[in-house]
Amino acid sequence: MAPLNSLEKEYPLIDSNFQTFCASHSIYSVEDFLLHDLDALFTSAANHSTSHRLKQGIHQLLSIVDVLHPPLLNGLQLLQDSKRNKHVLSTGSERVDEFLGGGLREGQLTELVGPSSSGKTQVCSMSASTAAKHKGSVIYLDTSNSFSPQRIAHFVGQSSDYVSGNQADHRLLQNILDRIICYPVFDVYQMFDLLRQLEINFRSEIVKSDRHVQLLIVDSISSLITPILRGSGPQGHALMISVGFLLKKLAHEHNIAVLVTNHVVGGEDGNSKPALGESWKSVPHVRLLLSRECGSNVCNISIIKHPAMASGRTATSSRLFD
Amino acid sequence: MKKKDREEIESWIKGDETGGEMLKRVWRVRPFILPPPLHRVPLRVGNVLELVGPSPSAKTQILIQTAITCILPKHWNGIHYGGLDHLVLFIDLDSRFDITRFSHLLLHRIMEPYGEDSGDYDKSLFDLCMTRFLYVRCSDSFQFLQTLKTLNWRLDKEKEAHGVSVHLLLIDSIGAFHWMDRASMLLPLKENSRKKLFLQSVSEAVVQDIKKLLHVHPMLVIATKSVIFWNKQSSASVDVKGSFMKNSWEERSSRNATRNGQHVEYREYMPSVWQSFVTHRILIRSSDDHSVTSYCQNSSFYLLEWLLPRLSFSDKIVVKDAGVFVDS
Repeated sequence: MAPLNSLEKEYPLIDSNFQTFCASHSIYSVEDFLLHDLDALFTSAANHSTSHRLKQGIHQLLSIVDVLHPPLLNGLQLLQDSKRNKHVLSTGSERVDEFLGGGLREGQLTELVGPSSSGKTQVCSMSASTAAKHKGSVIYLDTSNSFSPQRIAHFVGQSSDYVSGNQADHRLLQNILDRIICYPVFDVYQMFDLLRQLEINFRSEIVKSDRHVQLLIVDSISSLITPILRGSGPQGHALMISVGFLLKKLAHEHNIAVLVTNHVVGGEDGNSKPALGESWKSVPHVRLLLSRECGSNVCNISIIKHPAMASGRTATSSRLFD
Repeated sequence: MKKKDREEIESWIKGDETGGEMLKRVWRVRPFILPPPLHRVPLRVGNVLELVGPSPSAKTQILIQTAITCILPKHWNGIHYGGLDHLVLFIDLDSRFDITRFSHLLLHRIMEPYGEDSGDYDKSLFDLCMTRFLYVRCSDSFQFLQTLKTLNWRLDKEKEAHGVSVHLLLIDSIGAFHWMDRASMLLPLKENSRKKLFLQSVSEAVVQDIKKLLHVHPMLVIATKSVIFWNKQSSASVDVKGSFMKNSWEERSSRNATRNGQHVEYREYMPSVWQSFVTHRILIRSSDDHSVTSYCQNSSFYLLEWLLPRLSFSDKIVVKDAGVFVDS
């Protein structure tokens, strides 16, 4: 937000006299103004020789704030937006979709938690190929070189007739793969840059609806965040929470389903628990735990957290991802 | 006695409101009982209730159920709903509110008296209730402050449009920007005149703005707060879910011991100005004998305990897909 002296040109009421008055209350910017007690400010202004003009200045600042603040919506408006813009994306697995009550919701952040080789990347690839097949664009942030176009091609081919190998089918496959854009990302700052750039792109491309990004995948988000959480300062956690808010903002404003993966770490009691700690727990809308029993093909999926379902619900299947 | 004083006293004795007006005024400040699981202590407008618990512990779910009770009318077409007939304001600081969940639960409540199988319901009642639910989403402390500073006029407008006032202010969840604000206090301060830490100034401004808002629009405030720190010695025991009877017994007795010494397992992180603003506090934590009783797969159990005022017992609550219930 703006320092006061930059507002002078546009709003003549915020003149140098007003700025000196504010400075005497250590208010130099709109942020400082927000942190200040309004009544105390009005009282103090009343004792001034130019009290009328100062009060007008305070009202001017308030109306600037009034324009900035987020809108007040009612339940019907929210529901309308949700019905019109927030669709459900299939993960590509009927069982997982059924388990989730339809699939991945646009506007929400879904987290997959599990040890290595529990099927996290598999769900990501499957969801990406399914969304791309249904003409949606997918952005895939790959932090550990686990993205494999062959695998995507495999998923695309598996559930349809693209395998026959003739020219037309090949072009179709090409189109689907073109809709999945993969970015290798190796640290959290790079991810911030990328997300901010995406935000700008989305804003400017709002009219071009044919390449609507439906799904944003970060596989895995924990490998970017874990390194910055070390040390005692709050900056690491602040970055982690900011990433969470940025992802949720993108999801909400641009109707994107966000899918992130997280690994597990050993807890103090010997049981494993999701990485990233207590503060991260309140970031995702949906948290799912994936596990695979040793040496077998049996997959478990269970709900740690879901806005519409009680936690603890579990599905076990040997063919969860078929 | 001076004439002026005399007049003042006379006008005071004469009274300036009708019986109806007085009843209305008294009813507004009268304590009321919220539906379970918040039914143990009567609350009234002006109170600030804090729900503390780890994530997930059905905190948002409890907020939603309370909101629905508030927006429903007392009676509608001869059916008793027992609602409070007021507006609700939900300030979403976590950016996680799910409106479809809300509308499902509202629909469920509206259709309940009709019986399970009747498919149709009163659409106008649903619409009325949905428009009585007001929602703001803030994604940093400044947006939150902007909202609070300008809410006064907005609520006036809503009050005029609906003919009823806002009765309930819900905040989910109050500590959402804790880390971000804590980190920004370490940024170089522009002037030495700013003596306070950023985190503290934000909380002070938030409390001050809510207080002022409550002055003009008397409301009951319910805020959730996620536990983000556990006390070291008990953090392990919280995750153990009664795998061994002996263990869990030891655990419970040691926990009781610490509780008698005024210690709870979670660590407070909100600045003191917020803590002294809170008038009522509830702690929700995972139930110890979880594994023993969870014969039903699609539900989870928590213990709900009043810390302020301190009650000697805790309620066991069950979270199912259909909502939160007190387990008897």
